[in-house]
Formats: sequence, C-alpha cells, structure tokens
Amino acid sequence: MTSGSKIRLERWCRGLVAALAFSASSAWAFDLPELMGLLAKQKSGEARFTEQRFVRGLEGPLDASGTLSFQAPDKMTRRTLTPRPESMVVDGNTLTLSRGGRTRTMTLDSMPELLGMVEAMRGTLTGNTQSLARYFRASVSGTPDKWTLDLVPIDEKLSAQVRTLRLSGRAGEVLGIEMEFIGGDRSVMSITPTRTAP
Amino acid sequence: MTRHAAAPGRRRIALVLGIWLLALVAGIALIARTHFSADLSAFLPESPDERQRVLIEQLQSGIASRTLFIGIEGGKDAAQRAEVSRAVAAAMRESKLFDQVQNGDTSDWKESGTWLFDNRYRLAPDITPERFTAAGLRDAIVDTLSLLGTPAGNITRPLLERDPTGETQRIAEGLIPASSPRSEHGVWASRTAPRALILATTHAAGSDLDAQAIAVERVRSAFAAATREMGSAGPQLQMSGAPVFSVQSRDQIKGEAIKLATVGGIVMGVLLLLAFASPRALVIAVLPVATGVVGGTTAVSLWFGEVHGLTMGFGSTLIGETVDYAIYYLIQARGAAVPGTGWQRWREIHWPTVRLGLLTSVCGFAALVFSGFPGLAQLGVFSLAGLIAAALVARHVLPVLAPDGATGMGMRRQMAQVAGVILRALPRLRYVFVGLGAAALALVLWQGGHLWRAELSAMSPVPKAAQQLDEELRADIGASDGGTLVVVRGADEQATLRNAEAAAAKLQALVDQGELAGFESVTRLLPSEAVQAARIASLPDAATLKTRLAEATQGLPLPASRLAPFLADVEKARAQPMIRRADLESGPLGAVVNALMFQRPGGGGWSALISLHPGERFDAGRLAAALADVPEVQVVNVGDELRGLYRRYLHEAFVQVMLGALAVVLLLGVYLRSGRRLLAVCEPLLVAVLLTLGGLAVLQVPLGILHLVGLLLVVAVGSNYALFFDQLRETGRADEDTLASLMLANLTTVVSFTLIAISEIPALSAIGRVVAPGALLALLLSAAFARGPAGAPAVRH
Repeated sequence: MTSGSKIRLERWCRGLVAALAFSASSAWAFDLPELMGLLAKQKSGEARFTEQRFVRGLEGPLDASGTLSFQAPDKMTRRTLTPRPESMVVDGNTLTLSRGGRTRTMTLDSMPELLGMVEAMRGTLTGNTQSLARYFRASVSGTPDKWTLDLVPIDEKLSAQVRTLRLSGRAGEVLGIEMEFIGGDRSVMSITPTRTAP
Repeated sequence: MTRHAAAPGRRRIALVLGIWLLALVAGIALIARTHFSADLSAFLPESPDERQRVLIEQLQSGIASRTLFIGIEGGKDAAQRAEVSRAVAAAMRESKLFDQVQNGDTSDWKESGTWLFDNRYRLAPDITPERFTAAGLRDAIVDTLSLLGTPAGNITRPLLERDPTGETQRIAEGLIPASSPRSEHGVWASRTAPRALILATTHAAGSDLDAQAIAVERVRSAFAAATREMGSAGPQLQMSGAPVFSVQSRDQIKGEAIKLATVGGIVMGVLLLLAFASPRALVIAVLPVATGVVGGTTAVSLWFGEVHGLTMGFGSTLIGETVDYAIYYLIQARGAAVPGTGWQRWREIHWPTVRLGLLTSVCGFAALVFSGFPGLAQLGVFSLAGLIAAALVARHVLPVLAPDGATGMGMRRQMAQVAGVILRALPRLRYVFVGLGAAALALVLWQGGHLWRAELSAMSPVPKAAQQLDEELRADIGASDGGTLVVVRGADEQATLRNAEAAAAKLQALVDQGELAGFESVTRLLPSEAVQAARIASLPDAATLKTRLAEATQGLPLPASRLAPFLADVEKARAQPMIRRADLESGPLGAVVNALMFQRPGGGGWSALISLHPGERFDAGRLAAALADVPEVQVVNVGDELRGLYRRYLHEAFVQVMLGALAVVLLLGVYLRSGRRLLAVCEPLLVAVLLTLGGLAVLQVPLGILHLVGLLLVVAVGSNYALFFDQLRETGRADEDTLASLMLANLTTVVSFTLIAISEIPALSAIGRVVAPGALLALLLSAAFARGPAGAPAVRH
C-alpha cells in the first residue's frame, strides 16, 4: 500500500517536474529575440491572404482577399483584389493609398497610431524588435514551428482603437494576423506564402 | 554778379537765409508726417511680368509675409517640449493676435469636424446625380464597408448610419495633407532635430511692422511663461519667418543708421576740426550735408509717398561727399585781396568745377532713379535732390555765412605736405598701375559672368545663421513656399473659386497619376456657389432616395432599415443655406480660408492660392502643361522667379550704369572740349574701376547689383579728383590749400564709405566695399597719371 502510493506520488511528482521542465524549456528555447531572428532571415516575401472582418451591427462578416508583399527593410504592400481593388503601399515614411481610382499620399510619422499599425506588420515581417518594442508590449508563445506573437499597444492613441494584435506563424513565415478593436470589432487574416526568398 | 557790392547786401542776406530756412522748415515738417517703411520688398522690382507680380503680391501681403515658424528645441525630453508647445500655442490662440496657430495638436479640431460633417453634401467632391442612383449608392456603401473592421474603420463606424456613402471620409481624404510634420507626444516635431514645432499666421498684415513686433513679442512672453519653472533644463525658443525678419531688420536698420550717423559725424568732425581748427567752420561745413539730407528725404517723400528706412540710413552716407563742397569753399574762398570778396573769387574760379562735379554725380545717381527696384529708385531720388540742395547751399548760403572762407589753418599745412609727397611720388608708379590695371582687366574678362554671381538673397539683411534656421524650420514643417505655387485669380470671389475648381480638377488628375503627392485648395472648404448648387441638386427627394436605398442595400450586410438617419440628413441638406466666405470667416476654419484666398491689394479682384506637395515624381513642366488651358492660373516657382528677376535687374542695372558712365564722359567732354584732356581725365577712372573689380575678383567676392552701383559712384566721385588734376595741369597752380582740400575731401569720402563697408547690412556694405577703395584709388591714380604742369615731361599715349 505504502509503496504503491509512494510510487504513484513519485510518478505524479515526476510528471509535474517533467511538465515544469517542458514548459520551462520551451520558454527558454523560444522567445522574442529568437522569433525575431527567424523572421529577420526573410528579406522579402509574397503571399495571398483572405480576411474576415466581424463588425458589430452588420449582418454577417465582411470578406476580402488579395496579396501581400514585403521587402526588407521598410517596403510593404497590401493589395486587395476582392470585393474591390485597392492598395496600400508603405515605403519608408510614405504611405500611399489607392481606392476607387483615387490616390493619396501621407507621411506615416505624422500619424503615430497609423505608424504603430504599420510597424506591427512591418516590424514583425522584418524581425525588427526595436520598432515593435516602441509601439507594443510583445509576448511570444509556442514553438518555432508554431508560434504566436501577441502585441498590446503602448501608444495612447493606438490603444484607444486597438485592443490586441495576434500574429501567428511557422519559422520565418507569418501565417495569420488577428486584430481586436476597441468596441468589439475583429479581423482575422490568414496568409499563404506564394514565394519566399532567403 | 560782379556789379554788386563786394560783400553780399543785407537784403540779399536776409532773402537767401529766409528762403533756405523756410525750405528747411517745410522739409522737416513734411518729413515729420512721412511714413517710414522698412519692409524688404522695397528691394523687389516694381513692374515685373505677370508671374513675378503674383509672387511679389504674395511676398508683400500674402500669407508668406505673415507666417511665423517657431521651434522649441532641446530641454529635457520630447514630453517636456510637447508640454511647452501646448502651453505656448494655447497662449498664442488666446491672444487673438494670430489667425492660425498649429502645433499638431488635434484636440481642438472637434468644432471644425462637426462643421464639415454637417455640410458634407456641399463639400464632398463626389456628389453627383449618379452617386445617388441605386447602383451609385451601392457602390459607395460597399466602399464604406470595406473600411470597417480596420483601424481606419473604427473612426468612421459611429457615422455609418448617417453617412453610409462615406462623404465625410472623402472630405477628410482631401484635407489630410500629403506631407505633414512628424507627430511626437501629440504635437509636431522635427524629423532631424530634438525640436517641437509651431506654425502660426499673424492677424496683422505683413507690412504692419508694429503689430508684427507685438505678435513676435507675445510668442516670446508665452514661451518665457511656459518655461519659467524649468530653469536651465528647459528648451530654447527659435523663431523665424517674414515677421521676425522684418521686425529684426527694421531694428537693425534703425540701429545701423544711428551708429553710422554717430560714428560718421564724430570722424568727420575730427577731420574738419583738424583741418580748420575752428568750430564755426565745422558747423558751416555740415550745413550742406544737413540740408541735403532734409532735401533728399523731402523729395523721396513727395515722389514715393513714403521713405524706406534704408534710403535714410544709406542716402545720408551717399551724399556725404557734399561735405566736400563746403571744404572746397571754405578753403578756396580764402586769401581775398579785399576782405569779404573771397566768395566772389570762388564763384568765378572754382564754382564751375564744383558744378561739373555735381553734374557728373547727378548722372551717376540718375541711373538709380530709373532702376526697377523701388528701394534703389528712392536712393537715386534722395541722392539727386540731396546733392542739388547741398550744392545750392554751398553756392548761395555759405558765401553769406563765411564770405572769406574759413580762417583757421589747423593741420592743413601738414596735410598738404603729406599730400605733396604722395602726389610727387605717385607718377613714378604709373607703369605699375597700368600693369596692375591690365592684369585686373585680364582677370575680370577671364572671370566674366562668374564674377556677377551674387543672388537676390545676398541683399537680404537676414544673417546667414537665421536663414539657415529658417530653412530647417520650413523643412521640418513641410512648408511648400520655397517651391512651387499655383495662384488663381478672378474678378470676384465666385469667379476666383470657379477658376480654382477648374485648376484643382487638373491637379487631382496629376495626384491620381502619382505625379503630385497632394495639394491644398480653398475650394475644399469653400466651393463656388455653382458647385454647391449642383451638388445639392444631385440629392434626390426623400421618397426617391428611400426606394433607391432599399434596392442598393439588397444582399449587403447593412440593411436599409438602419439608415433612416441618412435619409433625414440628406433631406435636411437639401434645405441648407449656401456656404459663404463671410460665414466661414468667424468659424474655426476662417483662418485656413483666409490663408488660401484673399482680396488683392488695390481692389484688383481676388486671388486663391493652391499650395502643392510635389512628391517624388513631380515635374514642373507637366504641371504647367496640365494647367495651361485653365483661365487666370499662374504657376510660380519661387526660386526660379526670384533668380530670373534678379538676372533681369542685373542686366538692367548694367545698361543703366553704362548709360550713367557714358553721360559722365559726355559731360566731361563738353566741359573740357579737348579729346586729350578728356582721355587724361578718364584714364585714371577706368584704371580705378578695373583695379577695384580686380581686387574684388581676387578676394572672390560674389558681385551683384549693388557693387555695380558702387562702381558708378566711383566714377562719379572719382571724376571730381581727375578734374582737379586736369585743372592743376591747365593752371599750373598747386598751392598747399588746394592739395589739402583735395586730400581732406577724399579722406571724408573714404571714411564714410568705409563705415558703410563694415555695416552689418549686406546691401550697405556691398556699396561701401566698392566705393571706399575705389574712391581712394581714383585719387591716387589721378595723381599718378597727372602730367605735370608746363615744364614736366608730358607723356602721350
């Protein structure tokens, strides 16, 4: 009896230690610098995306799809193809928006909240820890093969609009972006890389 | 004249003095009522072509003349600078001295936002009948929906039920500038320096310097109040812009004029005292100059209606040579056989020479009168009137006050000895001078146009460091006024707005093609009444809209039943009054409208300004082509136009100076009636001009219009010396007094122009740096090239 219970206790303890060890080792093994290191290896990329946005007060989600591309250090393009063509091109400090035949150019750093949103994606894609840390508290979970990066805005103006951003992926590729806005709206984007270059 | 009694009669004395004093009093009374201006635009030309006139209008009264750039630099950190920026901006807004105070803080935009939203069906660019058909509505609603669920959509979502077609968003798109400063802690900040930025427009006109000074002072005190508790850890205030420069340059001109007058007066006084050892002679010697200044100022006031500060500061020195008239008179009228007749002898023997000197100077300054720069024209009129008044005093008043000249001998004997030694030694150096002259000619010819590379900005009294700060602050703010401006004009408000709308349509096409990053037009806030009426006419009545909306929203996630507020707002808009400039003026957007649209001075209709954000692919040629067939539109490249303007004026000045020099030579020819003598007189002048130019070329001084004017003055002043030696040669007399008076006259000229040369006002120092060495050279060379009186070896060319 005694030995049996002892054994069971021992097994349980071992299990606990193993569980602790596992979770601890995963935390040590995969953290923000390492993820950023993986991401930084990708100097450019192209992908298709589909996006579903859940907006309160609307009947049913809004769907969109298109392509994404980026090129280190600071170029990024989001081209929406459906439901209607539009594009957002980020090049350094310049943001160019085209919708319905109209083109507009803006400087990013004149609108810090916009810059924050751009940096969430651009900083992640290029593995730029510094620019991420300027706008977000970042935390990483998962393994290199299946990671999640949670971003919570620091900037006052940005946090008045965006609650959290969650990016997920495998190794140096971003495969999904989820945004949750203040007020309950939500957007879920899934990304399929079409071509990656080292 | 010789029939009169030896001494001027008592009645004549009374008459001469009476007329003189009366004229003086009248002149002073007029001057007391005269407006003295100090704006820098006096040194911009008067009758330029259409585009240049647009530019000058802008510089004189447009927003450029009222814009202040404020930097808050250094201190502890960005948060502290943001705090100071908010405090200073709040104090400035409260003062009501400014039409506009922008520091990037958007918390005050709520009022404007509400106004824009309420008037959206008059302001939005896309309101057409097609947009309110079922298909058009559907298209617009889908467009709006595509923004929802994004960060931008978060802002528009609360407006969805009232504005499902996204008109507010279209208005906002137009109003967000393509290039605005960086935002840091909620306020504008520099991209290159630790500096918060404020952009302000004074309420007072650019030409109202007193009001500008008050506004500038208000900023300083607001900053001092905001940083009082920070001590040495606080940031520094930087200010730039036309109001700051104008106020500073006015103070500077005032200070310099006083300094010049004081130092010049003291130096002159010492020289004259040395020469005459008599305070009475000193007072008499100053009379022609003083009368000249009063006469010159009066003439300018009568001719132009106002006197520029620079004209006073500068003209007084230009006519400083009139002290020579008194010097010549006081010395040359001496030694009469019968006491009291010295003045008669002077009039017979020496007055013709003085008169010729006066005429040559008049030729020189007349060139300025016809200059296209109002500032230089004023100087010309001032100098002409001043010289003539001074000569009249020398001719008529001095004989009354000092019939036999000055009695004292002072140090003149020593001066004469020095002069004698120099003059005797100089002819030996003649070939050296000729050689140097040839070298200078070669250098000047070789440098050619490169020599005349000074630009208009070289005349600006704004110091280099301030110009640099100005450039930095402008770059930080993204102010486009260093670049290209589109100016639209019209006979009245509505015509101007319609023309501006036509231009904006062409510009929008360029924006859509990516050739222009953006532009700002007043018609985004104040469309013409025609456009407003057309937009309102596009709105269907409530019943029609309701039917079409039901059709448009079929299958969309936004049901028509939720859009009743939209129907109500459209119905309300149909009955809204026209947006008028007067209504806008009192509102939060009034300043923006006033900045982009203004009545032209002199009742010449209205102008609207479209400022451009050029972007990377901008091409001035394509812009001009795109706007070619829009009526009443001028594309002005500020830098190009100013450069073109300056080149034109430099060319004009060359012609005028050449004509002036030619007139001097003709005059000398008529007086001398001898080719040989004329050549002898012109020779030293030419070499003096060449050596001065050569010297400036060696020192790599970029030359401009003012240097050119200086050269003409060298000729005008120098011809007096050359004539003197011609006289000497003809009469063979060179007594001590003559030499001393010549040396003294030259010294006073050189001293006064040296004082100008070290002035901190570039326009002044440019002339001084030419005339001071030039006049001295003209004297030395006149002596060097002088062929001695009969007996000395004559050299022929």
